[in-house]
Amino acid sequence: MTSLADNELVARAASSQDAAAFGELVRRHQSHVRNFLRKLSGDVTTADDLAQDCFMHAWDKLHTFSGRGSFIGWLLKVAYTTFLQSKRKSKRYAEILEEVGHDAEARSRTHSVQADEVTDLDRFLAVLSEEERAVMVMSYACGLSHREISEATSMPVGTVKSVIFRGKEKIRTNFDIKDHQHG
Amino acid sequence: MTSKIINMAERLKDNEDRLLESMFASAPIADDGFSAMIEKNVRRRLWLRRLILPVATLVGALVSFKPLAGLVTALASLTSLLPKELLNAPQQLVPQLPMIVLGAMLLATCLLALRALED
Repeated sequence: MTSLADNELVARAASSQDAAAFGELVRRHQSHVRNFLRKLSGDVTTADDLAQDCFMHAWDKLHTFSGRGSFIGWLLKVAYTTFLQSKRKSKRYAEILEEVGHDAEARSRTHSVQADEVTDLDRFLAVLSEEERAVMVMSYACGLSHREISEATSMPVGTVKSVIFRGKEKIRTNFDIKDHQHG
Repeated sequence: MTSKIINMAERLKDNEDRLLESMFASAPIADDGFSAMIEKNVRRRLWLRRLILPVATLVGALVSFKPLAGLVTALASLTSLLPKELLNAPQQLVPQLPMIVLGAMLLATCLLALRALED
């Protein structure tokens, strides 16, 4: 099973509902997906819960993978959608809590990163918008091409390029990046 | 050709890009049973999906047994109102009708059993 290419494993998992083949795909890509979600959400526990949801959604939608792009690109698209859906849900939950007067709990749910855990990378990511963060992480942390990012985020390639340009510009104006080591 | 040019242009990274890549890079996350847990959840979901249809059929049969039995009894009592020639007509037209019905039922059972074995 380990010698098979991603596309062969996907075909096997989708056509004969092979859980072992899907397990191998999860083993290969879990690190990328969890890293991506950790950088997006800024919280390890939330990211791992989202990664679980993401892989279960991926299992349900496996037949929609056409095999034209890379599997990791498609998987990150599922992860990004899962993240956005959960964000919408938790935003609505925070609004409900606020409406019934639990402001403190609502605030604590939206800011889960502890101050002493903040790294240089977290500071960089904090100046970016959610969209810029997702695109920058896909590009610089996951090594996706502009075309793959465009497919994952449903943005035109030109928009992806300008989002990356804008993100770099923001980091450049807020930090002297030559002085920073990776975090 | 155009896509090749685009890919080449993407590969031409400047120092800033390389620096950003090194800053965004992070150590691979250890699996620690994560993929085994997902695989287990997938297997559980598969089992549930396979069980739903037979269980639903069984429950449906149990729920509908009494009303169905009543309906059959009522229909049987109605047949006494029909003329005898009309009741015997299908048997006279196709003498092998009981065998055909039995064969069809056996075929359906075999197909269902084969599908269950395949799963």
